Amino acid sequence: MKSVIKIIIISFWILIVSGLSQAQSQQDQCFVCHESIGDNVATLFKKDIHYQKNISCSACHGGNNKSEDMEEAMNPRNGYVGVPKGDQISTRCINCHSNSETMKKYGSNLPTNQIEQIRNSVHWQRSTKGTEHIVQCSTCHNAHGIVSVKNPSSPVYSLNLPKTCSKCHSNTVFMRSYNPSLPVDQFQKYKTSVHGIRNLNGDTKAADCSDCHGSHDIRKATDIKSKVYPTNIPETCSVCHSNANYMKSYNIATDQFSKFAASVHGKALLEKNDLNAPTCNSCHGNHAATPPGVESISKVCGTCHVLNSDLFSGSPHKQVFDKKKYPECETCHKYHDIVTASNELLGVSKNAVCSKCHSETENTKGFAIAKKMRSLIDSLESEIKTANELINEAEQKGMEISDAKFKLRDANQAKLESRTMVHSFDYEKFKEIVSNKGLKTTSQIKEEARSSIDNYFFRRYGLVVSVLIMTMLAVALYLYIKQIEKRKKTN
Amino acid sequence: MKSLMKKIYNWFDERVKLEDLVNFMGKKYVPVHRHSVWYYFGGVTLFFFIIQVITGILLLFYYKASSDLAFESIQFIMSKVEFGWLVRSIHAWSANLFILAAFIHMFSVLFEKSYRKPREITWLTGMLMFFLGLGFGFSGYLLPWNELAFFATKVGSDIFGAIPLIGEDLKIFMRGGEDVTGATLSRMFGFHVALFPAIFSFLLVIHLLLVQRQGISQPIEMEGKELDKEKKMPFFPNFFLRDLLLWLLVLNILAILSVFFPSELGHKADPFASAPEGIKPEWYFLFMFQTLKYFPAHVWFIEGEVLGILLFGAAGILWLLIPFWDTKSSKGEKNRLVNYLGIFAVIFIIVLTILGWLL
Repeated sequence: MKSVIKIIIISFWILIVSGLSQAQSQQDQCFVCHESIGDNVATLFKKDIHYQKNISCSACHGGNNKSEDMEEAMNPRNGYVGVPKGDQISTRCINCHSNSETMKKYGSNLPTNQIEQIRNSVHWQRSTKGTEHIVQCSTCHNAHGIVSVKNPSSPVYSLNLPKTCSKCHSNTVFMRSYNPSLPVDQFQKYKTSVHGIRNLNGDTKAADCSDCHGSHDIRKATDIKSKVYPTNIPETCSVCHSNANYMKSYNIATDQFSKFAASVHGKALLEKNDLNAPTCNSCHGNHAATPPGVESISKVCGTCHVLNSDLFSGSPHKQVFDKKKYPECETCHKYHDIVTASNELLGVSKNAVCSKCHSETENTKGFAIAKKMRSLIDSLESEIKTANELINEAEQKGMEISDAKFKLRDANQAKLESRTMVHSFDYEKFKEIVSNKGLKTTSQIKEEARSSIDNYFFRRYGLVVSVLIMTMLAVALYLYIKQIEKRKKTN
Repeated sequence: MKSLMKKIYNWFDERVKLEDLVNFMGKKYVPVHRHSVWYYFGGVTLFFFIIQVITGILLLFYYKASSDLAFESIQFIMSKVEFGWLVRSIHAWSANLFILAAFIHMFSVLFEKSYRKPREITWLTGMLMFFLGLGFGFSGYLLPWNELAFFATKVGSDIFGAIPLIGEDLKIFMRGGEDVTGATLSRMFGFHVALFPAIFSFLLVIHLLLVQRQGISQPIEMEGKELDKEKKMPFFPNFFLRDLLLWLLVLNILAILSVFFPSELGHKADPFASAPEGIKPEWYFLFMFQTLKYFPAHVWFIEGEVLGILLFGAAGILWLLIPFWDTKSSKGEKNRLVNYLGIFAVIFIIVLTILGWLL
């Protein structure tokens, strides 16, 4: 009996030992070994999403992960490559991440086109060494300890991303070797922006680098396909700023894009593709995006509208606006929905912006000036119209009138200058341009055009007279020939 | 008044023996027959040439032949110079009518076989003047330096460039370089106002001297017969006065055309702009331009365009040398082949010109 019990115990022990050793041989021997020696890489890898999906170290490093024998496990004959260098890193990642079957096998729903996207990105340029590309997957995602982008410990998690990007983009020496003209203060600026402040305070909804620039498909800002190319910026910003639900908690308007698109700036940028037209960041800044303060609006607009801004700053309105805290340009022209300035804005009619503050009983001096200015610019416009009609009439009559036509440009230029001069709110200066430059020119044009039209009729009358004379001469000659021939015949 | 004229006449007669010339002119007769009307077209062509010379000189007073100033100077002529618009318009219309009159004159001479012995040199000088007339048209077209002229000259000189062997050199010579530039304008101006007028005047003198020396050609069927009084007309004053009458009528037409359809200027040439649609040469080159379009890209081993140019060249030489290969007419025999060729040429030119205009 004792011997039977002995046999059972031994058999059981053998079973346990062989079971244990089988379990041990099924374990990832790379990880077992590296963990046992306290390697930091193994510690990081333990948190890695790949470890959790039972992906072995050998998937990236090669070798035999089943072998306990180090020589055998790390033998190049078994495909061991050691630490992948340069493009080898991304190649390892691409092997699985661009294969939808493999990704499905591991239960991942990540897109498999990252490699296509990164190949078109600015980061896929050759590095200064020339043997590899500038960034590898590990540059942003790390090598070991890779976690989901939604995991707060990920370097590409929204709150960590600005810092991750700034590792290179704030490195003057590194950036200089690739693009010396590219600023390196984006992160510093970002920290002062509304987006940056919120991000640093833990708001994951606030825009981070990837929201505006994209993630794998980051292109140069001068690339027409870039999300931050001037004509694409309004749409990029509107992804968040036109989303009422998304912006609900911030309590700000969501109609900026629709207003901008209908504005004179929006039409120039989005319909005419005029890159001189301002886009969102022209007024708000880009990395330091924030709404301009009341007192700086005229300076912001003045970056393009230099003369208007300068004239306004020297005008009596400047002090009054500052005192009453009126936003400068915005008070008359609005902001996102700025339309083409017309004469309607000026004067004392209901639609005129001047009448908001000036009336016959209140601020009367301005009321009188606005009235006179409007009358003067209206008369210039009417004279330009008449001059244009006369030119057209002369042209239709086939007259050469290019000189007068050229002068019409001067008249239109005077109209444009007078509109600028309005911002001085100085009637004498305004009159100088409208009368001396504009009305004087239109008067010359009208005179030339009328003279051309008169000339047209003179030509026709002249033709009738000359044709009559020549015909009479021809008839006389004909009669003379007949007379000669008759005389000859009778002879 | 009469005595004064007589005095002046006598003053000249004493010195240069005008009497001989008057006697010579008085003995000159023009045959009268059913085709006599065609005799007038030589005079009409000459009249248009005289107008061209006069208006051309007037334009020269103001025209500036440089790519920077040419367009503006024409603009100035048309808007500021007194009757400048009229002078330019007459010059442009008269140029077209000159070519038309020359075409009619040439075909009338061909159908009448007036080129036959002894008038081969008259035909040759006439034909050379006709080709020079086309040259006047081509060179003058560029002078306003407007968009249409610029591209038409480009296309035209490109066609010259396709001539085998000498084409490329000829093109560069015409353009004064690889492209149509200010150098081309200076060159065309030189051709238009100096070289061509000099050669043309020389040929014209020979042509007119021969006409006077040999007299006006009679139809083959009337040749050798003594013309009775009814079938001839004194050149002076009868034919001369009829010529004058026709010139007055033509001048009237020219004035009406110039006032009602003044020559336009268009836009200044911009070498960097793309060519406007439907660039066409002047109407008298249109039949050749249109024909070249119908040639396939390649005919056997030769390029279609090159073949077309060679065919036109051959036809031109054949045409020029008619008096030398049409020996029948010189013998006073009828040659129907020339008539058929002439009719074919007239129909071909009219049809292709209309097609070129419409398409």
